[in-house]
Amino acid sequence: MRFVLVAILALCGFAGQATAADPVDYLKEIKPLLADNCYKCHGASAQKGGLRLDTAAWALKGGDTGPAFLAGKGADSLLVKALRGTAEDMHRMPLKKPPLPEDKIALIQAWIDAGAVAPADEKPEDPNASGSIHWSFIPPTRGAEPEVGQKNWPRNAIDHFTLARLEQEKIKPAPEADRVTLIRRLSLDLLGLPPKPGEVEAFLHDQSPGAYEKLVDRLLASPHYGERWGRHWLDLARYADSNGYSIDAPRSIWKYRDWVIDALNHDLPFDEFTIEQLAGDLLPNATQDQKIATGFHRNTMINEEGGVDKEQFRIESIIDRVNTTGNAFLGLTIGCCQCHDHKFDPLTQKEYYQMFAFLNNADEPTLDLAPPEEIARREAVREQIKAIEGEMKSYLESLAAEQSAWEKSLTPEAVAKLKPEITTILETPPAKRTDKQRRDLVEVFHGQDPEFKKRKAKIARLEKQEKKDSQSATTMIMQERATPRESYLFIKGDFTRHGEIVTPGVPKVLPPLTVTGKPTRLDLARWIVDPKNPLTARVTVNRMWQEYFGKGLVETENDFGTQGALPSHPELLDWLATELIRQQWSLKAIHRLIVTSATYRQSSRTRPELAVIDPNNKLLARQSRLRLDAEIVRDAALTASGLLNETIGGPSVYPPLPDGVMTLGQTRREWKASTGAERYRRGMYTFFWRATPHPNLIVFDAPDATGACTRRPRSNTPLQSLTLLNDQGFFELAQGLAARVLREAPENKQIDYAFELCVARQPSVTEKQRLQELLAQQLATYETAPEEARKIVSSNAGETGDLKQLAAWTTVSRVLLNLDETITRE
Amino acid sequence: MHQPPQNDPLRDVTRRHFFTKCAMGLGSIALASLLSEQKLFGRESKLVNPLAPKTSHVPARAKNIIYLFMAGGPSQLEMFDYKPKLVELNAQPIPESFVKDKRFAFMDTFSKDRPKLLGTRRKFARHGQSGAWVSELLPHTATIVDDITLIHSCATDVFNHAPAKLFMNTGSSQFGRPSMGAWVTYGLGSESQELPGFVVLQSGPRGPRGGSVNWGSGFLPTTYQGVPLRGKGDPILDLSNPQGVDATRQRQTIDAIRDLNLQRLVETGDAEIETRISAYEMAYRMQSSGPELIDLAKEKPETLEMYGIQPGQPSFANNCLLARRLVERGVRFIQLYHTNWDSHGGPGEDLDKSFDKLCKEVDQAGAALVKDLKQRGLLDDTLVVWGGEFGRTPMGENRETTGRNHHIDAFTMWMAGGGVPKGKIIGATDELGFSPVEDRVHVHDIHATMLHLLGLDHKKLTFRFQGRDFRLTDVHGELVTKLLA
Repeated sequence: MRFVLVAILALCGFAGQATAADPVDYLKEIKPLLADNCYKCHGASAQKGGLRLDTAAWALKGGDTGPAFLAGKGADSLLVKALRGTAEDMHRMPLKKPPLPEDKIALIQAWIDAGAVAPADEKPEDPNASGSIHWSFIPPTRGAEPEVGQKNWPRNAIDHFTLARLEQEKIKPAPEADRVTLIRRLSLDLLGLPPKPGEVEAFLHDQSPGAYEKLVDRLLASPHYGERWGRHWLDLARYADSNGYSIDAPRSIWKYRDWVIDALNHDLPFDEFTIEQLAGDLLPNATQDQKIATGFHRNTMINEEGGVDKEQFRIESIIDRVNTTGNAFLGLTIGCCQCHDHKFDPLTQKEYYQMFAFLNNADEPTLDLAPPEEIARREAVREQIKAIEGEMKSYLESLAAEQSAWEKSLTPEAVAKLKPEITTILETPPAKRTDKQRRDLVEVFHGQDPEFKKRKAKIARLEKQEKKDSQSATTMIMQERATPRESYLFIKGDFTRHGEIVTPGVPKVLPPLTVTGKPTRLDLARWIVDPKNPLTARVTVNRMWQEYFGKGLVETENDFGTQGALPSHPELLDWLATELIRQQWSLKAIHRLIVTSATYRQSSRTRPELAVIDPNNKLLARQSRLRLDAEIVRDAALTASGLLNETIGGPSVYPPLPDGVMTLGQTRREWKASTGAERYRRGMYTFFWRATPHPNLIVFDAPDATGACTRRPRSNTPLQSLTLLNDQGFFELAQGLAARVLREAPENKQIDYAFELCVARQPSVTEKQRLQELLAQQLATYETAPEEARKIVSSNAGETGDLKQLAAWTTVSRVLLNLDETITRE
Repeated sequence: MHQPPQNDPLRDVTRRHFFTKCAMGLGSIALASLLSEQKLFGRESKLVNPLAPKTSHVPARAKNIIYLFMAGGPSQLEMFDYKPKLVELNAQPIPESFVKDKRFAFMDTFSKDRPKLLGTRRKFARHGQSGAWVSELLPHTATIVDDITLIHSCATDVFNHAPAKLFMNTGSSQFGRPSMGAWVTYGLGSESQELPGFVVLQSGPRGPRGGSVNWGSGFLPTTYQGVPLRGKGDPILDLSNPQGVDATRQRQTIDAIRDLNLQRLVETGDAEIETRISAYEMAYRMQSSGPELIDLAKEKPETLEMYGIQPGQPSFANNCLLARRLVERGVRFIQLYHTNWDSHGGPGEDLDKSFDKLCKEVDQAGAALVKDLKQRGLLDDTLVVWGGEFGRTPMGENRETTGRNHHIDAFTMWMAGGGVPKGKIIGATDELGFSPVEDRVHVHDIHATMLHLLGLDHKKLTFRFQGRDFRLTDVHGELVTKLLA
């Protein structure tokens, strides 16, 4: 009642006079307000200005500027004035944060006016309390599946939660999508590839009761599953093939990428998946694979610019590792604490550097993956080179005596053949030559000596042999140091300003570490996936959910802190999190659960009747249409064209790239487009230069790999249209699709077949008409100008076949590959 | 912000009827006009063009920005900041008090012995009504001093190129933040329906260090990232039709895509398809507006001469003229990178001939741009900014030839047009040019002021990410009132 009154008074502009009709309850109404807004600086852990507000008695006692209030004099109280920003010589409180709403201030004022009554035995703030009971810091609890009215709808537990919520709002779920949509959706979601016509056909005709589940199992067993979900993980891992910053030199770490694909294909439990990536090197008898896995945190950038302070950028990479660890596993914006205590979450700057201390003890070597005999062979070659170089040194020393004789022996004709700057040197008396001139001349002198040339050639040959023998991959890994580094808190995040020494530790708001002795990176990894950790499982299932529905149950997938969004279905989130742990962290089990739910299987058609109630589809009363990820846009076209090379893993490749892209980086890197089958590898294998990423990836929102990316935006821009329409890489695929259709389909089925290759379904009558009209129009242009046909078809097309058909079909294929539906998961 | 459309089942039915029966016959012109009115389907379209012009927070003084980014860190001491005392003390070690506890690039070599001061050998003279000192290297810039404001007291936080460039562009040396061009197009949208709102051009021997992150959109939608306009080949990637496809065939292709997309739109009701249809229309328009933009044939010979353009040669001069043409076409933010100003004294990076050449490359064109904008009445609406990611030290560097190290404490930038005073000089450095002694202007302050001139309050231009409202100026930035005319 009184609240209403205050609100009304506030609306009428009388808030200041809101003397309460009912007494204000200090413990229920005032103390929580002060706790949320003031205790951080004026509580148990800090008393800025000598003021402590966590009991009313202390507040009355006040700080350096006097009592915070005087009972009965609300409007004149320092506390109220400070909150309104009207106190003299004092900032508005809370400092640098949004002001309290006027109704809250009025409430405090009313309490003071009414005598500031508080219990005599009021307890002060407990400095050791975890300080927060924000939902995500409480371990998930597995609630019972809610009862629902529409009993025949749910297919598994997930549906009980979503349907119960819908029924609360009196909304019916959407009907199930048709079978073609379902198989395409599943294929794209689980493999990142559209289904093949035969697969669609088989699924349509499989009338057995478990047909859908069988399909799901087949897809989950496909090795392309690891590629699809591996790529999601690589977004978090900020995987790229170059070092970033200005020099952006190439690096070899694709073995880590392949490890991710392989681990997911084998359904490596997520706890082990995590431990191996964060601390595989520390596992007892670590295998080569476990070491490769530590590449996760080697995906940070390396600044090779001249004049950098190496330690500065080593520390920047560790900062990135701390932030990524916080983001990827804990869903916390821990990065905010690099410079100061978190403004909103119960995380301190010291705790940040305690996490830092875990990650500060590793060396960053490169692991040679060659077999031992190859390494031995290479070493032998290197020895040989060394030996020749040794001989060469003494030979050149002996040769030096002959230089002046050589200079004198040069005929004018010989001099004329030399570069002008060398001629200048020769004209300069030896004593007057600069160091550089001497060096340049010695080089020329050596260059004409046959013995020197012979030895030089031999070294070059051996070096070439060594290089040829070094084709085995190397990969970047972490390796713990024997003697740990000292870690400090960096004042204001500045690595040159050491604060106190810190030792490895975890934030107090989360469960404690349970190790004795000095905790290591391995302990951190184990702590992250300890079932008691309230965040890891939730954050993980939430990100999986997000890939299937466009957004997570917690929409702020990278912020489970107090500023993040609340879960739309908290009980479902907790159920899934506990289920992940119950299933021994099997990711495939959760995938299967989600995609076999009725919730997932709904149609994605918009429901105009819900446009007002649920415009963003938060309640999940339908599926969502989602534009394919950048790499999958390419994969879908590759698949339709029949050109896809399904090879999994290996060094990154170079699909066609428009001229001039590589000039935008500081160092011009080479891009020699792959030929043959390598040209048609999946998008995820495209070599990723951080400074000059392939534009087709970036234009479709692939992350730039400069930091962990927890969710890709889905933009929809004219540059995407230009890419799909005109890019050489996509155009080749249109040519491929045209050839394939003419090769594989009888004439009366060509349009149906081409359409099916792109979107899996058959065209409607009008769609087919429109495409026929286009085909006829194109054929007609080539009837009148047949020479035009040769221009559009691929140069590989050869002389056989009907060029006019091929040319007309190239245009039809371009249309199909450009359709919104082709690049959308329905 | 956006009212969801009221649903009308009857209209839905009619709509469906209309499209199943008539969509095929809908010509591109009709569609284009429907789209341009944003009234597809007889209702306010759901299509919210993220680049549609938006209203500003405060009255705008400028509509567009042309940012001439001198990549590598140009030496203010050879160009603008005249220090006779430094010349006098040439070759003497810098007093300890200046460099105590300072960090520099190339710390290991640079600070081993106390570095020696380096006086410039360039001649300086005062110019214009303002009496601004400009060196002999910039004869053309000297003629526009009364149109520009020189700021001698700029300061930044980071002294390596890639992080510093990122800092100048995004207000943070950490990756992942949006660049200022992205912020501005996010805040104001774009006036151009035919070109991207944020365009990046590049000249010089190499690209700017760090590459595309300098014009990236960070956590803002990708729509706002800078689009490189290239000196060779297609001005925008994939702007020309594939082989064997002429304009007619391209139009036929896009018409068919549109008709089929419309069918799908009717079928699914997904507004994203509307956006995609209009994206294809804009792409098509870009295909003709792009080549038209870079075609300088209609420019008068005097104009080309004024900029110092060699027709057919990619250059900073060329890019300056393109910048003017972009402004004329309503592009919001244009950034020109010119490399390489990293004058350490290594080969090709000396303060002698290399520096002469660089100054020559930018001096005439930069001045011509200001004059050209002025004579066309565009300068009042356009803010021109000139500067690098940092400046150079008053101390020389001991390499093969004459050079200076990176310097973050004080360097010179200039601005002109859109709401900036004419012929003003802001800030001054100590007698060695090491630190500002008045009106220190930090990168965050420059950002705050640039946004203000565009009508944006830097504290209000925010984007929520990871639970926090981010700004270009982070939690810093003071308006430089002296920079407001």
